[in-house]
Amino acid sequence: MASTTPVATPAGTGHRPGPAGRRPLGKSLAARIRPWALLAPALLVLAVLLLWPLVRVALFSLQDYGLREIVSHESNWIGFGNYAEVLTSAQLWQVVLPNTIGFAVVAVACTVVLGTAVAVLLASLGRVWRTVVSSAIMAAWAMPAVTGTYVWVWIFDADRGVFNHVMQSLGLQDQPVNWFTDRWSFYGIVLLNIVHHGFPFVAVTVLAGLLGVPKELLEAAEVDGAGGWRRFFSIIVPQLRQVFAVVIILSTIWDFKVFAQVFLMPGGGGTNREVLNLGVWSYVESFGQNRYGFGSAIAVLLTVLLLIITVAYVRTILKEEEL
Amino acid sequence: MRRHNFGRTTTAATAAALTALALAACGSGGSGDGDTGGDGGTDAEGQTLDVWIMQGTNPSGDAFFEEVATAFTEQTGAELNVEFVEWADAHDRFVTSIAGGTTPDVAETGTTWTPEFADAGALAPLDDYVAEAGLDTDLVEGLVEAGTYDGQLYGMPWYAGVRALVYNTEIFEQAGVEPPTNWAELEEAAKAIKAEFPDKIAVAVPGDAEFTVYPWVWGAGGEVATLEGDTWTAQLDSPESQEGLSFWTGLAEQGLSSEGATTWKETDVLDAFAQGNVGMAIMGSWTPGAIVEANADMEGKFAAVPIPGKDGGIAPSVLGGSHLSMFETAENKDLAFEFIELMTTGEFAQKWGEQAGYFPGQASLLTETLESTDPLVAPFAQQFVEGGGSVPVSPNFGAVQAKKTVGVMMQSILSGSEDVATASGKAAEEMTSLLNGGS
Repeated sequence: MASTTPVATPAGTGHRPGPAGRRPLGKSLAARIRPWALLAPALLVLAVLLLWPLVRVALFSLQDYGLREIVSHESNWIGFGNYAEVLTSAQLWQVVLPNTIGFAVVAVACTVVLGTAVAVLLASLGRVWRTVVSSAIMAAWAMPAVTGTYVWVWIFDADRGVFNHVMQSLGLQDQPVNWFTDRWSFYGIVLLNIVHHGFPFVAVTVLAGLLGVPKELLEAAEVDGAGGWRRFFSIIVPQLRQVFAVVIILSTIWDFKVFAQVFLMPGGGGTNREVLNLGVWSYVESFGQNRYGFGSAIAVLLTVLLLIITVAYVRTILKEEEL
Repeated sequence: MRRHNFGRTTTAATAAALTALALAACGSGGSGDGDTGGDGGTDAEGQTLDVWIMQGTNPSGDAFFEEVATAFTEQTGAELNVEFVEWADAHDRFVTSIAGGTTPDVAETGTTWTPEFADAGALAPLDDYVAEAGLDTDLVEGLVEAGTYDGQLYGMPWYAGVRALVYNTEIFEQAGVEPPTNWAELEEAAKAIKAEFPDKIAVAVPGDAEFTVYPWVWGAGGEVATLEGDTWTAQLDSPESQEGLSFWTGLAEQGLSSEGATTWKETDVLDAFAQGNVGMAIMGSWTPGAIVEANADMEGKFAAVPIPGKDGGIAPSVLGGSHLSMFETAENKDLAFEFIELMTTGEFAQKWGEQAGYFPGQASLLTETLESTDPLVAPFAQQFVEGGGSVPVSPNFGAVQAKKTVGVMMQSILSGSEDVATASGKAAEEMTSLLNGGS
């Protein structure tokens, strides 16, 4: 319940990039109500399935809510006690937040760069090869997170993994190394996993945008003597600003709330506290110990954090457009 | 046209969603009390009993439960619906189903969970049913204690298990070593195995398996935690405990375990052992069946001995086990208990114990099992009787497990980031706080 809510709200804002201010004035009342009437059923479903859980999580976060309260349906208000405990935790500031934010920044950058590069490649390919390459990247996208994670775990396994085997036969290391115990190598593997799983979405979305860039513009620039890089950064990137906004916001949200890809890794489920991120930390600290109020408080903070990032980002994009 | 259609299907979807919600609400409210006074042979034609059974490192129970279902339907006319749940996910599944009012009628609950769920008010007390069936004097004491909360029995003793030292007889023979009876011998044996088989794991020292750690603490004369008045004090950092931890993790430090084992769980130990890659490991009485199931070639190629103490004798190992618990949401409680009785006593209890490598929770059956001479039962039976230990008996121990206090300690020692003194000191501090209700 808690894990789905942070996606929903900000994702909604990302889906409406189109300009909205071109309506002719003086419409009749019926015409103004009609869109809402048509949207009402869908909004009702959203309210029941998304808004109500969101409100519940917020209410839980103000309570000391455990298994006993779940069964008895009683409330147990404690004000902002949970928030005080979260925000004064040394672990949050020293390990959890740096891991979460640092990882998200690197992962989003890598995903978007790689995805864009692949999109440019796809755009320059002929029909046959474009089909081949896009089906290949679709396979990466279609792989469930759990399966993908186990494949990476297997590749980097200390005793039987391919990676250690190759490193040893190349003479780069004498003994097998357990890559999951070190904070940096652990997140290196998570990064590979997340980027591998995330770049196809970026590639496909950016490709759609690329194909919409007018050919005349690019040809004119070429005639004027602009090289490949210049054409990319001066023409394509500004044209695709809104596409990039959507892609970056969505990737940020996804990479902030990474859970399965960390939890399922050896040591990632709580035995190695150096690698805890916000998702796993809230799980270990709250749900494992039946402290649902505390977990909800963490979920609310995560949502607020993502909202702030998204709003700030959308504002800068819009401002740049006004200029 | 198009728009119109769109509107209609969405409305239909909304209606469907709302109906589903309403139905779910009805379902959770309908926990009617069944009539009491049924003494076997309930006629429950057309009803279905939902049961959750745990799955982990024990052998698959599919065939066994098919047999149970047939017998159950014959006896009561009701259908049996068994769902297998992984131990690792089970706690979450229980909690979410308790929250949603969708608990099964009967479920297998780990002995440390029964008081927790009883405390939450999710379980139905069983005392009256047990007394009526005349079973109250024929249940294994330790399991009754673990299943009792606030003076009432909430968990029907089903089975108990214990871990001992399981070893690969082929590897031992070729390395020319005998099963160890004290720590010096164990270390010598591991070194001899490593010398003979440099690519194999002489002794598996897993980092994320708390129950393989306690025997070494106890074997050196240490304690996990002690209770004085109302206050718990963790003893993982006492000199004795540290000696045990140093010995156990020292084996890994000397290269007798494997790099990968630092992040292993017990399921990983089982996998590696079943592949014939491990000389010896701490494994449960329920694993022999699972080893053969995973790799039929291992049949007859492994044996067990009780875990040796530092200077000989037996190092205690945790007696774990399972209850069958009845949930308050069970619609027909008589039917539910009939199933519990069928499972925990007589023929089926014995069969499950034999097949899965567990000790039955019915006292009269247990006596029989303990006299077994089977080489894969007798050592565990000896460990069970002479070397049984218990984790701190506190409702807060679940929090210690959830926070992986012992796993964190082991992993930081094994990965070399902390020494035994520092890591055990931190673990003891955290355990003391958690056991006394802190966070």
